[in-house]
Amino acid sequence: MNEILLELESIPWGLIAPLVIIQLILLVVALVDCFRHNNTNGPQWVWVLVIVFGGIIGPIVYFIFGRRND
Amino acid sequence: MNQWIILFNKEMKEAIRNFKWIWIPLVFILLGIIQPVTSYFLPDILKNFGGFPEGSMLEFPLPTGPQVLAETIGQFGQIGVLVIVLAFMGIVAGERNSGTNIMVLVKPVSYVAYIVSKWLHMSLLAISSFSIGFLLASYYTFQLIESVPISYVIKGAVVYSIWLLFVTTLVLFFSVLFKSNAGVAALTLGITIIISLMSSITPDLLRWSPGMIASHSHSIFQSGEAGEYFWLSISCTIVLIILMIILSIINFKNKETVTHTT
Repeated sequence: MNEILLELESIPWGLIAPLVIIQLILLVVALVDCFRHNNTNGPQWVWVLVIVFGGIIGPIVYFIFGRRND
Repeated sequence: MNQWIILFNKEMKEAIRNFKWIWIPLVFILLGIIQPVTSYFLPDILKNFGGFPEGSMLEFPLPTGPQVLAETIGQFGQIGVLVIVLAFMGIVAGERNSGTNIMVLVKPVSYVAYIVSKWLHMSLLAISSFSIGFLLASYYTFQLIESVPISYVIKGAVVYSIWLLFVTTLVLFFSVLFKSNAGVAALTLGITIIISLMSSITPDLLRWSPGMIASHSHSIFQSGEAGEYFWLSISCTIVLIILMIILSIINFKNKETVTHTT
């Protein structure tokens, strides 16, 4: 248990935090857009899965290919 | 002049509704942060996961600041360009397919204003995303690795943004020329990759080519001085950009008048 805590403390969170925050912003914006925009390119639930589990790439792929602009 | 502002605002509004003004800058910021951070941790990562035998004393030198900045530019040149091309592949072709441009063009709008306002908006978005991403990249590099003279950083970034302008112009040019979005993206990416590859393989033959710009900005980060034939490749690129904009306008005019009369 102690080892895990030490390991966690050794991670420089100050460096990682901005990455996590930006990733979260991308995820939330993509999800909000996906739910609001009902005509996605393909089934909506697939895009929700892609956004949530796609890591950094997921929201970007959704923005490029998932939206149908009309 | 009024009509230019209106058309530009229309582009702006569309991009804000598409969240392009959020996600494209965020992608560049992510790329800009990730590169210095991974360079900083690379020795640790290799030590822990590199699979070197126990007790082998390998010292991994930390890369220098200019090197990290050049690697960041490399990331922007690959993933960043990919994102810009995919985001803007439908800028004219998509509007033509969905018929939006007819709604705009029935009004007394000049073709020049239509194309140039699109180009201005695209370039503004691309350049501002690049600048904010690169600002963060240099901040992280300064904090983690070492500082590079700020005038070098700014000069190199300005030089590199000319290459980005070339890419956005290429997307616009092909988007006017072709109907399918995928074709536009494939052609633009193919041409940018070929240009940069050829320029790194045979730099002597392609001194004038836009693909040399990236290597010029690398040498500016290193020493503050661009390589040989710097002005030749810069002026060639600018001439190519202007030519492509003019050709896009002419092409667009021809295509639209043909579809309107038939």
